[in-house]
Amino acid sequence: MRRENWLTVVFILIIGGFFLLNRLIPAPEISASERRPLKTMPELSVATLISGAFMSDFEDYAADSFALRDGLRSLRAAAVFGLFRQTDKSGLYYDRAVGAGKMEKVDPASLNRVAEKINRLAAGLTDCRLYYAFVPDKSIYAERPLPGFDAAETHRVLAAALGADLTYIDLVAALRAEDFYRTDLHWDQARLGGVLDALGASMGFTPARFTPESLGDFQGVYAGQLALPLEPDSMTIMTAEELERGEARYLGQDGVFQPGPLYDRDGFAGRDPYDVFLRGAQPLIVLENPAASTNKELYIFRDSFSSSLAPLLLPSYARVTLVDLRYIDSRVLAQYVDFAPGADVLFLYSAQILNNDTVLLAG
Amino acid sequence: MLFSSVTFLYWFLPIVLALYFITPRPGGSLRWRNAILLIASLVFYAWGEPVYVLLMAAEAVSGWLGGLLIDRWRGRPGARAALVCSLAVGIGGLMFFKYADFFLANVNTLFGAGLSLLRLALPIGISFYTFQIMSYTIDLYRGRTAVQRSLAAFCTYVMLFPQLIAGPIVRYVDVEKELTGRRHTPLDFALGARRFIIGLSKKVLIANVLGELADLGKNSTENSLLFAWLYIVAYAFHIYFDFSGYSDMAIGLGRMFGFHFLENFNYPYIARSVTEFWRRWHISLSGWFRDYVYIPLGGNRVAPARHIFNILFVWFLTGFWHGAGWNFILWGLYFALLLLLEKYALHSLLARLPRPFAHAWVALCVLVSWAFFDAPNLAAALAVIGHMFGLGLDMVVGPESLYYLRSYAVPLLLACLGCTPLPARLWGGWAATRRKAALEACAVAVLLLLVTAYLVDGSFNPFIYFRF
Repeated sequence: MRRENWLTVVFILIIGGFFLLNRLIPAPEISASERRPLKTMPELSVATLISGAFMSDFEDYAADSFALRDGLRSLRAAAVFGLFRQTDKSGLYYDRAVGAGKMEKVDPASLNRVAEKINRLAAGLTDCRLYYAFVPDKSIYAERPLPGFDAAETHRVLAAALGADLTYIDLVAALRAEDFYRTDLHWDQARLGGVLDALGASMGFTPARFTPESLGDFQGVYAGQLALPLEPDSMTIMTAEELERGEARYLGQDGVFQPGPLYDRDGFAGRDPYDVFLRGAQPLIVLENPAASTNKELYIFRDSFSSSLAPLLLPSYARVTLVDLRYIDSRVLAQYVDFAPGADVLFLYSAQILNNDTVLLAG
Repeated sequence: MLFSSVTFLYWFLPIVLALYFITPRPGGSLRWRNAILLIASLVFYAWGEPVYVLLMAAEAVSGWLGGLLIDRWRGRPGARAALVCSLAVGIGGLMFFKYADFFLANVNTLFGAGLSLLRLALPIGISFYTFQIMSYTIDLYRGRTAVQRSLAAFCTYVMLFPQLIAGPIVRYVDVEKELTGRRHTPLDFALGARRFIIGLSKKVLIANVLGELADLGKNSTENSLLFAWLYIVAYAFHIYFDFSGYSDMAIGLGRMFGFHFLENFNYPYIARSVTEFWRRWHISLSGWFRDYVYIPLGGNRVAPARHIFNILFVWFLTGFWHGAGWNFILWGLYFALLLLLEKYALHSLLARLPRPFAHAWVALCVLVSWAFFDAPNLAAALAVIGHMFGLGLDMVVGPESLYYLRSYAVPLLLACLGCTPLPARLWGGWAATRRKAALEACAVAVLLLLVTAYLVDGSFNPFIYFRF
């Protein structure tokens, strides 16, 4: 074979080979590594052709259904971090101290809008003791400085915009790099001692003692997004006698509360192992502590970080109610929740929610 | 459809290549293969512009009819009328779809007319195919080419997908013979494929990556000197690798199908004067304006005042061709002033300057020009230029800019190296051996797989020159 023909052979083998592989290998419906459904073949019609919707959707489908996709994603990650020596892949980074993460920029406008929403909610809770805190993005604990999240700026904007009747609880100083999972966004429930101490000091309770129970290893959401071979995290849940007797009720789509476990151990094998904690995405959950020596109640306006935190607060309260405004509009909240006078109310959001306020349904 | 897309690479291209090369050539005629290319080109364009494909077809038919009439009435006043009508259709279409809102907005600003804007989407590639059609009718009128009587062959020229939407601006005279009589050789296919993959890699692995850096710099809240320079340098590399990469892909694809398009870039960033820069950057566009506007106006063989007018007029048009905005016009006039400055004042000085100083002069002039080019308005452009020279800054270096300098150091170094002829010289200087051929095939495979990985993983993939 003539030498220049080697080029032709390589070109045809790759272009033609992937063309055939893409026809022969059926595309999976979901990407397990990225934890998302993959695009399916778009609807072909005169309307979608003329509008161009078919063509734009087809490109997404073609990329999502590509043969050996996970391997190619790993190849890109290897090129980004190995060949080009970049320190992040479109905002996704790997740091020796905190592991994998996504850089989260501070958006003061979004912070102000979140503060407005909190102020509106707080205005209807004048009989309660109001607190707020935020979970910093773990990038601030990275070994090498990463641009993006700025805890001081976040606090400054929130403190200026929130009403004076809300007490700030500093969790930034209570957390360390090792308190977060290395492959996931969330904090590790087994390492929330500092957070409980900070909350307890401000809200007037003494954190209970817990016993660790290991569920096994898992890969968090960033491991799949980065597509790098990372050491898995291990998941440990914290149990206690009071928690075993505790009850959880979850608001269903039919508007009726259904009982369920505090820890859904079967969920560990599901798409997102973090769903072990209070079954993942839920609009409204009420946790009851029948063995409580107090009648204090706590309401948490929250995101997913509170799913692992709330069970640890239950021994200190008779009832903990969790409201996730991403899934329930604050305007219908009164149908399901009667805020008890004198109760504690904690507004606790992570950097991801604070900087993307549109996800909160607080009218 | 983007060349740098999974749809093009792994659906469109293999199907078109297979259909094209299995189509027979009865008696050596390329009629059927041209039909495949024409249909493929229509699908390629309609994929991105399902409605405007009719506009492009209408303009192509209009150019073809204009050519027939120019030929029929050759030597009579009718030929001139046919040329004027044909040009009016092309320029009119361009004015309406690309510039109408610019004129309306300026009338509103000047006279408070309150005219409603049309808000038409810009047909992709209209500036490129309009200029190609115009080159045919003008050359035909001047007697520099023969009339094309086959509508299919003419449409194949206008709509040929490798160069349809972002050039190079291929003149009819340059591909006239190949439209009906080109040869297909294994060497052309192999070299075309290599050129295509090199262009694709420039686009996906360098231009897109540095485009991300340029966006980060542009949108950052850190107001530092380092970020101002990171932004403008990244943008300069982004636009060069983006556009020259696309030209490489077009030239490579054309060669795979037997066409030999002229070069569009010749390492512009190594130029030692702005005049030389424009002999190396977007060669097909500057050549078009030179031959169809500048020389008919008298070029430089006129009185100095007229020459200055010619330069200003051509560069006003060049700027306006790039976009319907004052920043583009200023960008063009800025280059006109630099060219005049070099012609009348700096010519001998630049020739005597040590190389590094001459390169620095070009780099500075060109980087400042990109501030105009990328800015949404004049105020934003002046702000960027001010930042580059230390005005209105909060700091010299900030943590964010330092982080991104470190993160993008290797892509920036690769871009620096890649915009010089050094890699090609080193490769070309290596004697052709089996080992070299094997290494080349491996490199092509690695690059194509890497590009595929970047595309499949869904990354930043805009293309600057589509908007022209």
